[in-house]
Amino acid sequence: MARQRRDPAWRQGGQEPDYRFTLANERTFLAWVRTSLALLAGGVLLDQFATRLEPREVILGLAIGLAVLSSILCAMAYVRWKANEIAMRHAQPLPTTLTIPMLASIAMLLAAIIAAIELVR
Amino acid sequence: MTAAFNIGLQRERTGLAWNRTGLAMLVNALLVLRAGALADHLPVIALGFLLLAASAAAIACGAWRAHHLARGGEHTTPWSLILATVAGVWVACAAGAVAVLIDK
Repeated sequence: MARQRRDPAWRQGGQEPDYRFTLANERTFLAWVRTSLALLAGGVLLDQFATRLEPREVILGLAIGLAVLSSILCAMAYVRWKANEIAMRHAQPLPTTLTIPMLASIAMLLAAIIAAIELVR
Repeated sequence: MTAAFNIGLQRERTGLAWNRTGLAMLVNALLVLRAGALADHLPVIALGFLLLAASAAAIACGAWRAHHLARGGEHTTPWSLILATVAGVWVACAAGAVAVLIDK
C-alpha cells in the first residue's frame, strides 16, 4: 500500500481503512465544504439582490457574518475529516459532533432575522 | 449487490461530489465577479477570476479522481487535496467579504 511521502504521522498510523469508508469520509468533507460555500453565497446574494431590505448595515453584518461562519464551518470540516480518518485507522467509533445541530440553529436564526427585518419594514 | 458493482458506484459518487463542490464554488466566483464588475473594482474582478479557476480545478479534480479510481488507483484521499480545498474556501470567504464591503 503506497504511502505519500509527505503524509503526516497520524495518516500513517493504524490500518488503512476500507475503501468505502475512505471515500465516504471524503464525500462527507466535500458536503460540508458545499454547505460553507452555500452559506457564503447566501450572504453575498443578500447584499447584491435583496436591495430593498433595510437597514443596510444589518444586511452587511449578516453577509460578513455568513462569510466568517463559512470559514469556520470549513475548518470544522477538516477537523472532522481528520478525526474520522484517525478513528477509522484504529477501528474506533466515529467521533460525535455538534456541527449539525449548530448549523440547524444558525440557519433558523438567519431565517428569523430576515423575517424580522421584513416585518419591521 | 456485488462488491465490484458497489465500488463502481462509490467512485462515481466521489467524482460527482467533487463536481458539485466545483459548481458551488462557481456560483461564488460569479457573484464576486458580478460585484467587481458593477463597482468597476479591479482587485475584486481579479479575485473573481481566481475563484473561477478554483472551481474549474475542483471540477477537473472530480473527473481526475473518478478516472484514477476507475483504473484501480489508490483510494486514499490525498492530504494535499483536502488542504487545498480548505484554502480555496477560505479565499472564497475573503473574496465574498471584500465583494460585500466595496463601495457600490
